[in-house]
Amino acid sequence: MRYLKGVRTSTYINMKFEDIYEPIEVITHFQEGRLRPLRFKWNGRVYKIRQWNGFWINRQGSNRQYHFSVQADNSDFVELMFDDADLQWQIARVCLDG
Amino acid sequence: MAERLIMHIDADAFFASVEQGFNHQLRGRPVIVGGEAGQRGVVHTASYEARACGIRTGMPLIRAKKLCPRAVFIKGDFAHYRAVGDSLREIYLRYTPRVEFTSLDDAYLDIGDSVHLFGSPVYMAREIRREAEEKTGVSLSFGIGGSKMIARIASGLDKPRGINHITPEHEKAFLRELAVEHLPGVGRRVKEKLVDLHIFTVGQLAALPRLAVEQMLGKNGRTLWKLANGIDEREVERKVVPRQISRETSFPRDTGDEKAILGGLQYLTERIARRLREQSLSARTVGLKLGYADFSRAARAKSLERASSDGAEIFGMVRYLYGQMRLKRVHIRHIGVSVTQVRDKSVQETLFDGPRRAEALNSAVDELRERFGFMAVMPAETLQLKSRYRNDAHGYILHNPALTR
Repeated sequence: MRYLKGVRTSTYINMKFEDIYEPIEVITHFQEGRLRPLRFKWNGRVYKIRQWNGFWINRQGSNRQYHFSVQADNSDFVELMFDDADLQWQIARVCLDG
Repeated sequence: MAERLIMHIDADAFFASVEQGFNHQLRGRPVIVGGEAGQRGVVHTASYEARACGIRTGMPLIRAKKLCPRAVFIKGDFAHYRAVGDSLREIYLRYTPRVEFTSLDDAYLDIGDSVHLFGSPVYMAREIRREAEEKTGVSLSFGIGGSKMIARIASGLDKPRGINHITPEHEKAFLRELAVEHLPGVGRRVKEKLVDLHIFTVGQLAALPRLAVEQMLGKNGRTLWKLANGIDEREVERKVVPRQISRETSFPRDTGDEKAILGGLQYLTERIARRLREQSLSARTVGLKLGYADFSRAARAKSLERASSDGAEIFGMVRYLYGQMRLKRVHIRHIGVSVTQVRDKSVQETLFDGPRRAEALNSAVDELRERFGFMAVMPAETLQLKSRYRNDAHGYILHNPALTR
């Protein structure tokens, strides 16, 4: 089983989702009104984004939360979220694959 | 005038399909949306791989885990599903402006006037399916026919990713051999009655005299007889007034704390009132539902003097109903609020408009929420839920997040 550093799982099933919602640092590419995360740093380790699966926008009043479903370089699925209210990135969810 | 042509589009196992679409690791695996494996609650949506293991919607999660131990259990994220639903809407509206959205994941399209732009209805369906899969990863099933009923039945026959076009000359033959439970309005009880009379197919029901069916099944009988004979004149309506709006949740732990119960009920009521006002609707009858720890249930409903969309007024009735219920000396696990007799707000309720002050207040609250999120203004009693649930600007993240609107 591959682990993202810092996540503890209590079960042995093949795949497990964890809600994290922690602020993180992200290197982002902004172009033509679009943003795209490239790398993120979490718990002291830098993860390169290998694949973008999709994104969606959650409207919170007049603010927008941009959710990105991505695959990190260790093959784990990660959901990143950019909130335009405070211009901050968060790691929203991770999926650990066994 | 163009021939009437209705397309019904239904997303296949929508919530599970969204999760699989956005996470490639989930594709081909049984996925269950509704909660974590050990959590109490029920399956909300199961992917087709999970359905093959015998998992069904409404099944307790614990039983689902036993039946399919290798399934991936996901709590779900309604905001994500709504965003994907919005993307699907945008796609449909590019093909015709006459779309009736019946829920997040299904819709009727009146394509009679626009089909000539695309060649054929089947080609149109393929294009919509391709676009939806590219953009969201969600697979869709299509039914095309001369009425909403035919389209709806056809879309359910060949899931997932099916496209069924029933041409007018084949409609009668299509209906004749169809099992009677496919007709909208035939539930378990009606089916039992019909089976007792050896009526198994729509053709057999259609052959009966209308009066006999009416006598057998009451008011519903007339509608069923018409549908069995292919008579369905319902139009595709852009705005649909729902029959009922309800919000329910389970507590993470059974509780006897009245403040928590009433706080939860008030929060659910606020969400219903917001939805009513968003769609310029009001409702007359208010219902309250309680589920006890011993799995027994109690429900009551009562009508307001006049239809309302005011959260405080509706909650006043919820509180009254709660007071009227003879509560069991058992903890409560599940609460729900519903409103029925929903109507368009443009209908004048009273000769002289009375509660203008409440309306002005509600519209100010709605504006604040539109700008700063639902949690910007909340009744004080609901704030104690903060110690029980995580929240964001959009609202509390309740025990069953797949359903948290």
